[in-house]
Amino acid sequence: MTMHASHCSDDDLILHFYGESANPASTHAHLALCRDCRAEYEAIARTLTMVATPAAPERGDLYGLEVWQRIRPLLPPPDPWSRFWRVLWNPLTAAVAVAVFTIAAFIAGRYWPSAEAGAPPTRSAPFAQSAGDERALTVALIDHLERSERVLLDLSNADYPDVDVSVEQAWAEDLVDANRLYRDAAAQAGETTTASVLDDLERTLLDIVHAPATLTPAELEDVRARLDAAALLFKVRVLSNELRERETAPLAPRKTL
Amino acid sequence: MDASDRATALIRARQGDEEAFGALVQQHSRKVFQLAFRMMRNEQDAEDVVQECFLRAYRQLGRFEARADFGTWLYRIAANCAVDMMRTRGHRMNAKAEPLDETAPLPEVGRPGPERLAVSAEIDRLVNDALADLTAIERAAFTLRHHEGRSIDEICRTLNLGKSAAKHAVFRAVRKLRTTLAPFRIAADPGLQS
Repeated sequence: MTMHASHCSDDDLILHFYGESANPASTHAHLALCRDCRAEYEAIARTLTMVATPAAPERGDLYGLEVWQRIRPLLPPPDPWSRFWRVLWNPLTAAVAVAVFTIAAFIAGRYWPSAEAGAPPTRSAPFAQSAGDERALTVALIDHLERSERVLLDLSNADYPDVDVSVEQAWAEDLVDANRLYRDAAAQAGETTTASVLDDLERTLLDIVHAPATLTPAELEDVRARLDAAALLFKVRVLSNELRERETAPLAPRKTL
Repeated sequence: MDASDRATALIRARQGDEEAFGALVQQHSRKVFQLAFRMMRNEQDAEDVVQECFLRAYRQLGRFEARADFGTWLYRIAANCAVDMMRTRGHRMNAKAEPLDETAPLPEVGRPGPERLAVSAEIDRLVNDALADLTAIERAAFTLRHHEGRSIDEICRTLNLGKSAAKHAVFRAVRKLRTTLAPFRIAADPGLQS
């Protein structure tokens, strides 16, 4: 029996070659019966077997030291806090510091007047409930913007005549939902600039998702022109840099509302 | 360096101790270089990736979660540094090979000796050429899957991709390689020559 109603796709066969088939037993059984799929699988296997892993040039035992000597002068200067922590790390110093802190906290707890029950809660940041939350959210948003920038860059740099954008589409699709959440959070927090950039980004991501998987050169030019007109890459980079600065800045005293 | 020394070095490095970070650099450099070389297929580019990887790791040490594995974290940084370098330097990092003359007789792949070596060299050249034509993310995903033996899920985590994007990147890379290497595949399979 060589003909089957439902053949394996090339993508299924590639996954099967790499041992990542969703249902390996079924694929295996199909290949045993279907000559067409078996021929296709063997062709894929032959191609991939030809792609040998390049042997990296040998690096001696001192290689790590060489790398370290090369990068050491390039390291950014440490901030004063790191020196403080380094001193604190000394186990004896750390033990003394912990003991002193514990005693001080105990005494302060006994004698410090407690907060009034009706005191208004403080709001630490527009984007999150606490400084820790804010920082985590900032890091996540930076990460999201970096991923989005990569999609936009890949589209901007796509080569003619290869304008198959299926990878970028799948990637953009993964980003749309997260982008919507970040945009809504920014809008609710009154971060209008961030919300506006994320709004533009969402529209562009959706355009990418809904475009044909293979673009003609004219369609690709159209996508690029829209990207340029919206200056989206520039906006995403600026926002990303601003957030990075915010993330690395020392924690300022929190504003209260 | 045993596990306890490594943990101590990591803690101290996170607190800004350069010497402790140096110990981690020395411990992980060779592995990072191997990955970088497979991604870049070029020694000088691989060295640049190694350097950028450790500088980036130093700047991001504050983001490293103490419970995570430092080697895995560094591996991700190295892979992403390689992707960024591919982007910066353009897709076509290797000299473009001459197009294959499909009318020329191909040496038999099975025969040992100089001709077979010539075929291997030609295949390597075409593979390099095909890889140079891939986008950075396709090339990285394919390298991680094919040469590094990483699963699609691991590729997702390493390159910060969704599952669908990671799969598509590998599929497209394989499709391009099949097209490029088709003449060799036919020569290697007498059954397909008729």
